[in-house]
Amino acid sequence: MPRPIRAYVRYVDAVNRVIGRAAMWLVFAMMGVLLFSTIWRSAFGISFIWIVEVSQMLLAAYYLLGAGYSLQLDAHVRMDLLYSRWSPRVKAIADVLTSVLVLFYMLVLLFGGISSTQYALEYGQKNYSSWAPPLAPIKIVMTIGIVFMLLQVVAVFFKDLAKARGETLE
Amino acid sequence: MSYEAIALLMFATMMMLLLTGQRFFGVIGFVASAFALMLWGVGGEEMPFNAAFILFNWYPLLTLPLFIYMGYMLSESGIADDLYRMFHVWFGPVRGGLAIGTIGLMVIIAAMNGLSVAGMAIGASVALPELLRRGYDKRMISGVIQAGSSLGILIPPSVVLVLYGLIARQPVGALWLAGVFPGLLLAGLFVAYVAIRCYVQPHLGPPLPPEERTVSWSEKIRLLGAGILPFLIFLSMSGLFLMGVTSLVESSAVGAAGATLAALFRRRLTRQVIEDTIRKTLAISCMFMWIILAALCFGAVFDGLGAVHGLRYLFLERWALDPWTILIMMQISYLIMGTFLDDTAMLVIVAPLYVPLVIALGFDPVWYGILYTITCQIAYMTPPFGYNLFLMRAMAPPEITLTDIYRSIVPFVGVMILGLAIIMVYPQIALWLPNIYYGR
Repeated sequence: MPRPIRAYVRYVDAVNRVIGRAAMWLVFAMMGVLLFSTIWRSAFGISFIWIVEVSQMLLAAYYLLGAGYSLQLDAHVRMDLLYSRWSPRVKAIADVLTSVLVLFYMLVLLFGGISSTQYALEYGQKNYSSWAPPLAPIKIVMTIGIVFMLLQVVAVFFKDLAKARGETLE
Repeated sequence: MSYEAIALLMFATMMMLLLTGQRFFGVIGFVASAFALMLWGVGGEEMPFNAAFILFNWYPLLTLPLFIYMGYMLSESGIADDLYRMFHVWFGPVRGGLAIGTIGLMVIIAAMNGLSVAGMAIGASVALPELLRRGYDKRMISGVIQAGSSLGILIPPSVVLVLYGLIARQPVGALWLAGVFPGLLLAGLFVAYVAIRCYVQPHLGPPLPPEERTVSWSEKIRLLGAGILPFLIFLSMSGLFLMGVTSLVESSAVGAAGATLAALFRRRLTRQVIEDTIRKTLAISCMFMWIILAALCFGAVFDGLGAVHGLRYLFLERWALDPWTILIMMQISYLIMGTFLDDTAMLVIVAPLYVPLVIALGFDPVWYGILYTITCQIAYMTPPFGYNLFLMRAMAPPEITLTDIYRSIVPFVGVMILGLAIIMVYPQIALWLPNIYYGR
């Protein structure tokens, strides 16, 4: 594999690892916000209007920013009816060919994300609730998550391509 | 091309592409976005990202990462070791007793956790080595652990019932309560099967040798104390939710915190454990969320085609079938699809198609939720695609081969289908508790 591709894969892997390992701590943030709300409501009878949306935003950031890392961890399930019977090389070839599908989906997702974020920025879109937070920040975070997932999909494509050609990228 | 034909084509394309072994979320997302673009052109390209916003507004979805976290934390906390010792001592003298004890253990784990992962992990790490050492038949063990851990999604709390509640627009509290007796019924049927089988063929599950049975009564009573911590976790989570003190999502956070405290209390909460737990939580949560994300878009395109109405018309008007025939056909088709479709994908793609039909036929959607969940449990276990099968393969020692795992589930799937039939014939098993509690 040419040197720029090796560098790309190494770089994207490293960046997504850092982002993902940071995102995985958000589970404690979600827990914290919800416990905070439980305690205040049951102890003092005070509820806050921002709890639901803040925890929803945390969840969105959690699974979108963590996506690239989850792909690295090979967490995503496949239907292995035939797949499990193939040799590693054939698996890699199949993955190279079908990566196009994932890439297409990621591009459409990214496209939608960008246009939705643009809309939110232009019109100062707010969530339809009593707290009514602006939606642009979380949309930007979600779109960034999608960008890094897309970069990781490409990196995995190169890894599979190398495997299909009988090389390793390490 | 008619809309029904396009809907069929979508489904067929998805199935074909899934066979290539590409990741679920990628294939489903591709089919959904490609058809959205082809059908609606400009504007269609917004649909995949819009799904992310529908997800954003599904508040109960927050329970998903928290329950997953809780499951891993519980299996790390070592809470199961004491429990297992309790069942070991109490049931050891009976033929097949340790297997029966393992089912009991699974029921308690299921009452603390909303997925089958925790039961599976605990079963494979705590119960399995011990059962093998005692000369239990390996196929019996593998079946017991897989069937037992699948109770995790039926006995409250249950993530599958949360997802079902979102799709069917039913109260999660009623669904959880409806799962209690069917869950216990299935556990009872498993126990009966193991007991009878081991009584007839004692070599499958030998009782403990007499010298190990002499445990003093004070020791026996003391061991029952192992049940206190799980009971507290159950009470703080499902209990507070059902009493109306905490909301559903809050209760999952309380449960997750409870599991962390249990681990802390038992001095298992090292930095390594925390890191492993949250890494696995992220991986599994992302896997679920991305499938749901893609499947929601798929569902939206499907909905746009009006496929549900077409289906309802076809069954009720054109073929003039009676509701029970349709229901049974639906369950059978679910079972067949469940054997080769991932159940999260199945829930998010197929359930929106079936649930309105079930309600239109006049059945109780809460009751159907239970039927649905048991079908899911069976799907969990049946090859070639089942989470439990994968987990078992990954966790079991090498002497348990894939063939053993496949063959071990056969009798248990039979027992589960029997349970499914019983609940179909006697809906009150599921509906009695929620009806009393909510005064419906």
